[in-house]
Amino acid sequence: MEIYINQEKKIIDGEISINNLLSFLEIQNKYIAVEVNKTIIPKSEYKTFIVKDNDKIEIINAVGGG
Amino acid sequence: MQLVVVKLAKFILDKKEYTSRLIIGTGKYKDFKQTKAALDASGAEMVTVAIRRVNLGQEKSGPNLLDYIDPERYTILPNTAGCYNSQDAIRTCQIASEILNGKKLVKLEVLGDKKTLYPNIAETIKAANALVKDGYKVMVYTTDDPIVAKELENIGCISVMPLAAPIGSGLGMQNKYNILSIVENASVPIIVDAGVGTASDASIVMELGCDGVLMNTAIACAKDPILMASAMKMAVESGYLAYKAGRIPKKKYASASSPIEGNFFENE
Repeated sequence: MEIYINQEKKIIDGEISINNLLSFLEIQNKYIAVEVNKTIIPKSEYKTFIVKDNDKIEIINAVGGG
Repeated sequence: MQLVVVKLAKFILDKKEYTSRLIIGTGKYKDFKQTKAALDASGAEMVTVAIRRVNLGQEKSGPNLLDYIDPERYTILPNTAGCYNSQDAIRTCQIASEILNGKKLVKLEVLGDKKTLYPNIAETIKAANALVKDGYKVMVYTTDDPIVAKELENIGCISVMPLAAPIGSGLGMQNKYNILSIVENASVPIIVDAGVGTASDASIVMELGCDGVLMNTAIACAKDPILMASAMKMAVESGYLAYKAGRIPKKKYASASSPIEGNFFENE
C-alpha cells in the first residue's frame, strides 16, 4: 500500500501499526507526535492504531528554535 | 574581606519556582553540544524549542535536541514560530503537548509577515482565547502595545512577552516607555522576548522592572556563544538587582560626591 510520511510517498507491504512503522523508519526518539490525516494519535495507541492505504502521516518532534 | 551574598528572589511561573530570569532559545547553534554548553553557561532553567517534522533522511536514528536537553531537568517551552494564523498555532500547541507527554506550557507567537516577524495581534488574540479555554498555559509573544498586553493578560495568558525590537535584529530596547507602562499595569510576569543584541540590552530590560528576558540569536550568533551566554547571565542578574536597589533620579547638573565642608584652600 501507499502512504505519505511527512509528505514523502512510501510503499509499505500491508497494513502496519504505528509502533511497527516507527521501528521500520528507525525512529528511536521518544519525544515525538504522530498525526494521521491531521488527527493526533496518542502514544498509548501506537500499538493498536493501524495505518491504512493512502493515509497521510506526520511525524513531528522538537528542534532548535527561539 | 566581607563577602556579601545577594540572593535573587525566586521567580514563579506556572506554579514552578525559577532562580534564573533568563530564558534561552535553542535555534541557530552550530550543534547540540554547543547548544548545551551555552545553556549551562547561561544558567537558564527554561528553554524554547520549535516544533517541526522529524528528519527522515540519513540522521533519522541520530541524536536529537531533547537527548541533550533533558525535559525532566529543564522546562521545555515549545513555540509556535512559523505560524501566520491562529489555526496553525493551535495545531502546533496540540502537537507540542503530545510530544511533551501532555505538558501544556506553550509560547504562542502568531506572526504577521516574514520581513518584520512582527506579531499578528488579531490572530494572536484568537489563538490565545482558544488555547486558554483548552487549559493551555500560554506565554504570549506580542508587540510593545500596553493595551494589547493587558488584553492578553485578561484573556488568561500566564505571561505576556513584548518585544524589545524585531526578532533576531539585536537592536535592543526600542520603546522603553511602552515597556515601563506594560510592567506598571501588569499582574502577570512580563518577559521581554526578542530584540536583545548584547549584555547591556538585557540589563536595560531588567532595570525597567521586567520579570525576565527571552533571547536566542544574541547568544547563538555571537562570535563566542558560550562567553555571551555567561555575559547574559550576569547582565540579567545585575539589571534585576539594580532595579530592586532603585536607581538615583536623573539630574541636569552635577552633584559633588566629596564633602564641600572642610576644604583647606584660602581663596574661597
